[in-house]
Amino acid sequence: MNKFKVSLLTSALLASSAAFAQITAITNAKVHTLTDAGTLEGATVVIEDGTISAINPANVSADITIDAQGRVLTPGFIGSMNQLGLVEVSAVEGSIDADDDKADVDFDASPAFNPRSSLIPYGRKGGITQNVVVPHGGKSIFKGLAFVVDLSGEFNSVLKTRTALVVDMGASRSGSRAMKYKTLTEKLEGQQQKLSEKTKKDDKKAAKKPSQEEQVLTAVLKGEMPVVVEVERASDILEVLKVKEQFGLNLVLWGVNDAVLVKEHIAKANVPVVISAVSNLPSSFSSLHADLRNAGELERAGVKVLLSGFAFEGAHNLYQLRFDAGIAVAQGMSHEGALKAVSSNIADVFGLDGGKIASGQRADLVLWSADPFEYSTTLDKLWINGEEVSTESRHDKLRERYTTDSDMPRAYTK
Amino acid sequence: MQKFKPTAIVLALSTVLLGCQDKGPQKEKVTIEKNPYPSTYQPHSTGSTLITNATVLTGTGERLEDADVLLKDGKISQVGKDLSVQADVTIDAQGKWVTPGIIDVHSHLGAYPSPSVESHADGNEITKPNTAQVWVEHSVWPQDPGFNRAREGGITTLQILPGSANLFGGRSVTLKNVPSPTMQGMKFPDAPYGLKMACGENPKRVYGGKGVAPYTRMGNMAGYRAAWAEATEYKQAWEQYEAAYAAGLNPDAPKRDIRLDTLRGVLDGEILIHNHCYKAEEMAMMIDLSKEFNYHAGTFHHGIEAYKIADLLAENGNCAALWPDWWGFKMEAYDMVPENVAIVDAVKNSCAVVHSDSGTTIQRLNHEAAKIMNTANQAGFSLKEQDAIKWITYNAAKSLGIEDKTGSVKQGKQADIVIWDRNPFSVYSKAETVYIDGAKVYDRFDEKYQAVSDFMLGQR
Repeated sequence: MNKFKVSLLTSALLASSAAFAQITAITNAKVHTLTDAGTLEGATVVIEDGTISAINPANVSADITIDAQGRVLTPGFIGSMNQLGLVEVSAVEGSIDADDDKADVDFDASPAFNPRSSLIPYGRKGGITQNVVVPHGGKSIFKGLAFVVDLSGEFNSVLKTRTALVVDMGASRSGSRAMKYKTLTEKLEGQQQKLSEKTKKDDKKAAKKPSQEEQVLTAVLKGEMPVVVEVERASDILEVLKVKEQFGLNLVLWGVNDAVLVKEHIAKANVPVVISAVSNLPSSFSSLHADLRNAGELERAGVKVLLSGFAFEGAHNLYQLRFDAGIAVAQGMSHEGALKAVSSNIADVFGLDGGKIASGQRADLVLWSADPFEYSTTLDKLWINGEEVSTESRHDKLRERYTTDSDMPRAYTK
Repeated sequence: MQKFKPTAIVLALSTVLLGCQDKGPQKEKVTIEKNPYPSTYQPHSTGSTLITNATVLTGTGERLEDADVLLKDGKISQVGKDLSVQADVTIDAQGKWVTPGIIDVHSHLGAYPSPSVESHADGNEITKPNTAQVWVEHSVWPQDPGFNRAREGGITTLQILPGSANLFGGRSVTLKNVPSPTMQGMKFPDAPYGLKMACGENPKRVYGGKGVAPYTRMGNMAGYRAAWAEATEYKQAWEQYEAAYAAGLNPDAPKRDIRLDTLRGVLDGEILIHNHCYKAEEMAMMIDLSKEFNYHAGTFHHGIEAYKIADLLAENGNCAALWPDWWGFKMEAYDMVPENVAIVDAVKNSCAVVHSDSGTTIQRLNHEAAKIMNTANQAGFSLKEQDAIKWITYNAAKSLGIEDKTGSVKQGKQADIVIWDRNPFSVYSKAETVYIDGAKVYDRFDEKYQAVSDFMLGQR
C-alpha cells in the first residue's frame, strides 16, 4: 500500500475492505453529536464498517451491544499543531523528523511519520483519535505542510497529506518581521503571475508539469488548501488579514495571544483561530494579552475557536487536551463550544472525516464515565475507525512492574 | 588557606603550630555573615478573619466538614466547628473548600520571568560546572507578572531555584508570594537556603559540549566528589580557626571562599539540597554520595524514576518533588508513569511533592495533584483529596524546611490560606481568596486585591 497518498476516498475504501463484519450498537448514551442535533440523552449509536451507520434507529440489530448506562459519548478528540509521530524524545536528534534546514513551502514530513511511536497509545488515553501534525520547518518562513493521522497505531494511519501550508509570521530573534511579509507576498504574487501567464499562453512551456512548490501555492491561491499562519501580535494579525484579503486565502490563525484586541476583525473575516487554553503569560512583547479568558471571549465574538495543547507540552502530553478544554470552560467558554474546539471545529477547518457524531461520519468515538473534561472522569472505551482500540501504553506496563509484588527482580515482571 | 591538611593528625599538628606562632593580643575574630540580604517582608494586615462552614483540607491528611477557621494576627488561631468568636471580617464559605496556601518547591519565576527575552535570562550561570557561589535571589525580578498569575492559583510560598546546567547551580531562595519592589520584601523569614544540584544529562550536555568535564555521568560524579572533598577541608579549616581562637590563640582566618561557603552550609546542615535528578540509579548514587561526605541528600526534583526506588527514598528521608506527567523531552524523562507521586507516597515515612518548574502549571498545582490522584485511583490506589493536598502543602513545606511555619491548617501556623470555589480537584475549580499571614492578597471578585506588575501597567 502506498501510504503516502492516502486520500479520504482511498482510506474509506481500505476501511470497507477490512474485515469489519460486526455491527456495534452503543445504547443508552448521552451523545454529544456536535451537530445541529445537539446533545441526545439515552441515545443509540450504531457503528458499521468503520462508519456511524445510524443514530436512534427504529430497530437495532447488532453483533455487539454496549449499554452505556447513561454515560457520555463524544466524537474522538483531535490534536493539532504538534509533531506527533515525528518526535520520540525531544533531546535525541536521531528521533526527530519534524524539521530540516532546507524545509520550505513543499516540505511534507508525512513519510517520516511513525505510527508505532510510544506517544500514540499515551495520546489515546486522552480520547485523541486523530491529529493534525505540523512540521517545524527550517530557515524559511514556510514551515511546510501539515498532515493528518489517526491514533490507531496502524501502518496506514496517515489519513490525509498536504492538509495545510504552515507559515511563521511572528517576531524573530534577528531581522525584521516586515521582511516576512515581503517574502510571503512575493511568493504568492509570483505564483499568481505564473498562473495568469499560463492562461494567456497555451504553448508547450506553460503546459510543463508544475513543481511541488507551484502545486502547493496554486492550491493556496485557489483557497483549496488552508494556510495556517502562526502570529501573536494584534497589529500582525491585522497585516495577515490583509494578505488573506489580497490573495483570497483560506486562512487559519495560530497562536494569536493578542487576538482579543482585534476579535471583531477576525470574526468579520470569518477566520478560525487555534489557541492554547492555558497560555496566559506575557511571554513576549507580541503576546501581552495572553489570558485564560481569551477562548471564551473569542467564542462570544463569533470567532471559530480551535484548541491545541500548550506549545511546550508538544505531542507528549496530547492527552491533556481535554483538561485544557475544561480550563477554558472554567474561564468562560461554553461547554459545547469547548467540545467543538477539540473536535468538530478542527475537522471542519482541516476538512477531516470525524469530529462529529452523525450518520455517515467516520466512527471515531469515546465513551466517558462522565463529563470528559473533568479529572475524575474515566475513559471507558475508545473506537478509531469503528474498531475498539486499547488505551494501554508502556507507562501502564512500567507502573505494573514496579507495583507488583514478586520474588524475582523487577526485570522479570512483564 | 588550610585546604590541603585534611586529616585529623595534620589538623592537630597545625593547631599546635598556630599556637606557637601566634602570641600577643587576639585580633578581631573573623566571622562569616550568613544572612547578608535579610528579609524585609512584613505581613500586610494583622486583623482577624473568620471563615465559616467550609470543607477544610488540613494538609496533614484530615478533611473537616462544615468547619470554621479563624485567622488572627497573621496566624491560624482556631480550627473547628461552630467557633463562637467575633472577627473583623466573617466569610460564609458554605459549599467552598479551604486548603493551606499552595507551595511550589520548584519555580524559576523572577529568574526566568515573562517576557522571556534575552535580557531576562538570569536563571542559569552556565559558566562552570560548580557555581555554588551564585545566589538566585540576586537574579529575582520581583515584577515578573508570573508571580501574580501564580498567586491567583493559590500559590503563597515558592522556592526559586537556579537552573540545572551545573553540578552545583547555586543557592535557592524561598519567597512569600506577595507583591514587592524588592526581593527581600518577598523573602520568607527564616527559611533555610537550598543548594541546587543537577544530575545526568544537563551538566554533561552543557560542559561535554564544550569539551570540558563533565563529559559523562561518571564525570558528573567525579565533579561532585571533588567538590565535597574540597568543601570538607574548607569546613575543617574554619573549625580549626574557630577552635584556636576560642583557645585564646591568635590564628589567621582561612581565606574566604563564597563558593565553598555554600557547600560548607550543606555540611553544617544549614542549607538543604535540592537535586535535579531523574533516574533511579542516579538518585541512589546521590544518596551514597551524601553518606560518603556526611550530609543529607535532600529533595530530588524531577525524579521521573522515583517510583522505581520509592523504598530507598523513604528509608533515607528524601523528599521527591515530581510532575504528574511531563516526559519524553530527554532520555532521562522517558520512563514516566503518571502514578509516580502516588507510588512514592504509598511508602511509610515518604515525602512525595508535586512541583511545577513552570510559570504555567504553577497556576494549577491543585489540578496537577488531581491528575495524579485520579489516575492512581484508576490503577487501584484509593487516594482522597485530603491525601493528595499534602503533596502541594505540608510535604512541600517539609522539603523546604518550613513545615513548622506553613503548609497546614493548624493552630499557630502562619495564616497562609486559600478559599476555593469548589472541590479544588475539579478542573473547574478556581481560587477565590488567598491569604498570606492572614492578609488578603488576592480576591477573585475584587480588583482591589488583584495585583498588577509594574511591567504590565499601561500595556493593555
